[in-house]
Amino acid sequence: MSDDTNGYELSLLELDGEELKFRAGETLYEVAQRRNKDVPTLCYDPRLEAFGACRLCVVEVDGIRNPVASCTTKAQAGMVVRTKTEALEKHRKTLMELVVSENPEATIDPLRGMASQELGVLAERYGADGSRFQGKHSGSSRPDDPNPMIGRDYDHCISCYRCVRVCAEQEGDYAISIKNRGFGTQITVEFDGFLSDSACTFCGQCVQTCPTGALNDLRARKHEDTPGELEATRSICPYCGVGCSVDIMTKEDTVVAVRPAMDGPANEGALCVKGQFGWEWIQNPERLTKPLVRKGGKGGELVEATWEEALERAAQGFAQVRDTHGRHAVYAVASGRAPHESAYSVQKFIRAGFMSNLVDNCSRA
Amino acid sequence: MFEGPSPRLSERAMTRTTDDELIACWRDEPAPLLPVLHAFHDRDGYLSDDALRAVAHGLRIPLADLYGTVTFYHHIARIEGGKQRPRVCDGPVCKLNGCDALLDQLAPEGATAMPCAGRCDDPIPVLRGDEFLVGRVGAPLAAEGTPLPPPNPGGVTECCFAHIRDAGRASLAGYRASGGYEALARAVQELSPAELLDLIDASGLAGRGGAGFPTGRKWRAVAEATGEPKTIVCNADEGEPGCFKDRALMDHDPHAVIEGMALAAYATGATRGFVYLRYEYPHTLRILEGALEEARAANLIGPGILGSDLHFELYLRRGAGAYICGEETSLLNSLEGKHPFPRNRPPYPVTHGFEDKPTAVNNVETLVSVPPIVRHGSDWYAALGLGEHKGTKLISLSGDVQRPGNYEIPIGLPLRTLLDEWAGGPRAGRSFQAVTMAGLSGGFIGSEDFDITLDEPCLRAKQSFLGAGGVMVFDDSRDMLEVARQAMSFFAHESCGKCVPCRIGTQRLTERLAGDAGPRDTELWSAEVHDIGHTMMAVSACGLGIAAPLVTESLLRYFPEQVAARLEQRT
Amino acid sequence: MSNPLADMELPDVIFCIGTNMTETHPVAATRLKKAMRRGAKLIVADPRRIPLAQKADVYLPLRVGSDVALLGAMAHVIVREGLVDREFIEARTEDYEAMSQHVTKFTPEWAESISGVPARDIEAAAILYGKAERGAIYYTLGITEHICGVDNVQSLCNLVLMTGNIGREGTGINPMRGQNNIQGAGDCGALPNNYPGFQPVSDPANQAKFKAAWGVEVDLEPGMTKVRALEACGDGIQAMLICGENTVVSDPDRKHCEHALRSLEHLVVIDIFLTETAALADVVLPAAAWGETDGVFANTERRPQRVRQAVPPMGEAKPDWWIIAQIAQRLGAPGFEWESAKDVFNELCSVSETYAGLDWDLVAEGRHHWPVPEKGHPGTPVLHVGEFLRGRGLFKTPEYRDPAETVDDEYPVWLTTGRRLAHYHTRTMTGRSVGTQFLVPEELVEVHPDDVRDWKLEDGGFAVMASRRGEILVKVKATKQSPRGTVFCSFSFGDVPVNTLTGSGYDPLTDTAELKVCTVNIEAASTAPA
Repeated sequence: MSDDTNGYELSLLELDGEELKFRAGETLYEVAQRRNKDVPTLCYDPRLEAFGACRLCVVEVDGIRNPVASCTTKAQAGMVVRTKTEALEKHRKTLMELVVSENPEATIDPLRGMASQELGVLAERYGADGSRFQGKHSGSSRPDDPNPMIGRDYDHCISCYRCVRVCAEQEGDYAISIKNRGFGTQITVEFDGFLSDSACTFCGQCVQTCPTGALNDLRARKHEDTPGELEATRSICPYCGVGCSVDIMTKEDTVVAVRPAMDGPANEGALCVKGQFGWEWIQNPERLTKPLVRKGGKGGELVEATWEEALERAAQGFAQVRDTHGRHAVYAVASGRAPHESAYSVQKFIRAGFMSNLVDNCSRA
Repeated sequence: MFEGPSPRLSERAMTRTTDDELIACWRDEPAPLLPVLHAFHDRDGYLSDDALRAVAHGLRIPLADLYGTVTFYHHIARIEGGKQRPRVCDGPVCKLNGCDALLDQLAPEGATAMPCAGRCDDPIPVLRGDEFLVGRVGAPLAAEGTPLPPPNPGGVTECCFAHIRDAGRASLAGYRASGGYEALARAVQELSPAELLDLIDASGLAGRGGAGFPTGRKWRAVAEATGEPKTIVCNADEGEPGCFKDRALMDHDPHAVIEGMALAAYATGATRGFVYLRYEYPHTLRILEGALEEARAANLIGPGILGSDLHFELYLRRGAGAYICGEETSLLNSLEGKHPFPRNRPPYPVTHGFEDKPTAVNNVETLVSVPPIVRHGSDWYAALGLGEHKGTKLISLSGDVQRPGNYEIPIGLPLRTLLDEWAGGPRAGRSFQAVTMAGLSGGFIGSEDFDITLDEPCLRAKQSFLGAGGVMVFDDSRDMLEVARQAMSFFAHESCGKCVPCRIGTQRLTERLAGDAGPRDTELWSAEVHDIGHTMMAVSACGLGIAAPLVTESLLRYFPEQVAARLEQRT
Repeated sequence: MSNPLADMELPDVIFCIGTNMTETHPVAATRLKKAMRRGAKLIVADPRRIPLAQKADVYLPLRVGSDVALLGAMAHVIVREGLVDREFIEARTEDYEAMSQHVTKFTPEWAESISGVPARDIEAAAILYGKAERGAIYYTLGITEHICGVDNVQSLCNLVLMTGNIGREGTGINPMRGQNNIQGAGDCGALPNNYPGFQPVSDPANQAKFKAAWGVEVDLEPGMTKVRALEACGDGIQAMLICGENTVVSDPDRKHCEHALRSLEHLVVIDIFLTETAALADVVLPAAAWGETDGVFANTERRPQRVRQAVPPMGEAKPDWWIIAQIAQRLGAPGFEWESAKDVFNELCSVSETYAGLDWDLVAEGRHHWPVPEKGHPGTPVLHVGEFLRGRGLFKTPEYRDPAETVDDEYPVWLTTGRRLAHYHTRTMTGRSVGTQFLVPEELVEVHPDDVRDWKLEDGGFAVMASRRGEILVKVKATKQSPRGTVFCSFSFGDVPVNTLTGSGYDPLTDTAELKVCTVNIEAASTAPA
């Protein structure tokens, strides 16, 4: 696999018996990822500074007494690393049993958020069914928060701090913080208030990085009972000019959510409240679904018509003005909201249809 | 950066000072958050929402972060009048001395419990506002000074305590009377920093706060690291239950701490230093402030120390109640005003410490050991230890023993010598059952193993360690399962919550020791306790989670029958 | 933008002027916040104490419409302090001497008298930007929606050219485009003066090219802007096709707009909702919405990216290109025989120089910034590297001019308008989404608390706000985000049609409306609206 070494320095380490090259600054977790090692983790988000909370990604390194968290350990030349041993798997199982023991359940609906299945998947893999290490549960949910976007089911929280970190490091809002300590740790916002009274801007990044669905997309969850498989279609956000890549989530022919694309060049996983939660207009009952034509002259009513009738009427109107007032009496305004194909068609409609330049878009106001 | 002395931390409680004035007082100093928080706390008697908003705005800290960080600390009151409510120590020894009854007695004043407040050689410590009092059941609270260490019962040569009992030692004049600041003068006038480093290396001095890392190597790493300014931090967050030696040093010999830090600065090239003092020692704060003012006036701190090029500015910072802040990286985060989680290491503080610059974090005792070493030489210090061990160690001895107190022992002293010959043995009619080591962090040593010597190699062989030198004694009248429960409950209370094994593990172990949850069957119970403990020891992110299971592991090793009997009762 | 979005994490000094970026381009702002996390310094110039201002190292609260004075003074200080990049000026610019002479009169003290910004803060900002190794300027409509929009931009260009902050990573002059595909509308030639790819219609070579490409005759003169067209409605312009724009609510001077559209003999509107504008049409054609069509958007960093169909169009809705082609074919226009969005886009690439190296498949992953002049070209993330479009960068000498309206006894209050985070334009989308509507359910005029008191308004009470063009009833919100004497309103709510008030003037060169300034009178309303 020569691709793996492209751009990497000549430093070498041994990972599970295989000599590997690595780049200065790379962590053991990143090296392992590159070799598709299945190292479990719950607190890792590649966009965030390594944190080392869940300890699931521990690996053995020769010469170091205890296993080290691979996410926070930089690769060094000559290291001999093992990512999967009986002892490590035992620790991982114990850790997963501990994590599962503080929550009501590990299985939750995938509509809650992009990363929401991570806990359930690992719990199943390690057979952590909640039967061991029983005791108090941690985290108090906030069903009292009236915001209709972000659910705050902290009883599902495992204190991985991804939400806190994504809010600070990625979004730069610093709205989410950590109250108390130890088992009493509670994810919260200033003065334990509602999100809408805090510095939260409802960008949804916390929801999408949460590995348990504790923070969850309340708009999407309206569709938990909508039939169909959850599918993603890659697109670009329809709001401002930044051009964030998104996945339009659908169940059959219903739009059920929008999610940020981690590999979107403009946003790298970020969205704002409009892109994240402002999509319910798409299949809104107020949408125009049939052509309308005005009957009874200027003072008349707009009534539904067939496409044929409406198109004919539209064309006739333009033809009549052209024939009466000349081709310079026809103007067109293109949208800055519609795709290229729309704007191109509009300007060509004027230029090829009326041989004028009487076209503009909506950028001046 | 060197704009002269800080305002006195202990004197900012001017009730009429405005928010802006309080913030302006500290904003341009390094590590301003803690003093600003204390200033508001002192002025108002608690930290109001408006105070937090003002501080967040004034220091440009996100409000949510500040709110969260404030809730991390035990002693910041968030309700009106909260600061003045008595806090009663319910540490392991105070439990033995009846703190629960004292708490009941003070309940009308709104008293609450606080973790070990570092006065286990005395009646029960009570903190009320900035008063550090001692309480006895049925008696009024009294303000009493920190007990001096008893004269050395073994008649051995002391390093740290050699002059601590001298009259007036806490003043500059008294300190100088027995050679104080001669070491600093000698260093800056006769030794190069490199020679000073060699001297400390040769003495064998190692970190006396618990980790035991060679001091010379730590300083050398800071000296050789790139990045300015470099910093010396004196870790005076003596939070380990059963440890009260640093308090004795700072209260009775504050100039020794300052001189030790100045020497560290000279050796490393550091230009600023902090004493990070635990909240529970308000009287110590005032003593250190006085000593610092004297030292600054005498040109022992500040620019051009003793006519040399050494320029070292020293700041006092007061913690706010969190055991984890004794962990050096957690301490650094706390100083910087961040959430006091421990940092991931490497990188270590010697290269990426305070504000990511090279920093030496040293315990009080370590720093106090330095001036005598410089005065008397490395050979002198090394020879103070027994056998192949170098130097001395302060032991805070407390609990069921005739003469509790701070003792400076030659490293390698047999435990029995300390307990029986130095401290007078068990209370009348009792026999020893167990001692703790390293405060609580080293777990228990059962009396069957009392033949050990007090040095790391010997203790490591018993799956324990000497650590900060707290030894609490439990005689045969004590319920060791209950002692273990209290110990684990302390760790659960103090777990920062950053890593899963410690955050959940300390909770689950406490529940199992208390019988609140978990299997009743001895075998299943032990299996769960061992599994949790082994994983905590192997993969926890810092020393707290690694050490806490030593309590349960040593309990099961030494007292399996007590455990079995209790589980039997529960079924 | 001269530089890509990713570059926003790289400057060491950021200068944001006339951009409420955390609300209008939130995801772009996250990159600036990352730069600040790394230690970058931030200068913010804005009349309102917007969220970005609260993060600023230097905040310049200028009076609305005084940008030329402020920026000229910054140039003055940079010259005075010797912070100009001589080497860059000599190698890559012309007319520097004229500009440096010109700004001698723009002293910070004079600028303070115009803009209200303390002279020392103007100096601090100029020195910070002047000393930057990588200084980057970001602006939005707060710069352009003025009668002096062009002068404002030229003033910014002067700062960029004199300090050499262009053509390198983490620098540049970066207008943030406000709409998802407003860049694309221009790219596609929906402009009265340019064919697709910004090829001027007045250039005979371009005329010949498009004549050949489309097989039709072409006009030799540029057309008129929309602003002029609206003025000509009923008198020259008699038919209009409006595609996806709610002109009545978003354009200035609502009464004038409505009147203009009503004066037409024939109005066809293509939209997804029956907007206030569509309601005036003779024919309304239902368009397929986002998520229901394939196509391409170009973002503010000139990056064309594909949008894709996820669900079938609602009801009988159709893609815009199909609808327009159907009408065009009925009019006998040639060249509208497309079968897919792909056909349309590939035709665009075949006639546009900036898109010449692209096609439908190449934009699938959105890896290119235009210009992409030929196949195999990697694209152009940073513009003006080594050379400007016209060769040398030209310094200009803009003079300060008052806004079209200035406060007087009758209209003593400045009104400025813009967007809020939760809403977008006229709320056709966000007004129909539960979450965004929850955050901002109604329009509020933002007034400084002291003004609320002095003007005898009530926080949460209603006020009548009037300009020379009309009046509206609006609820008052007391907030220090507004400076004394200036109030703010968004244009998002149809029931608070703030565009009834705006429309005091237009930039003479671009016809861009001065939506950022007009003067109003504001009084407590005696009754709440029915």
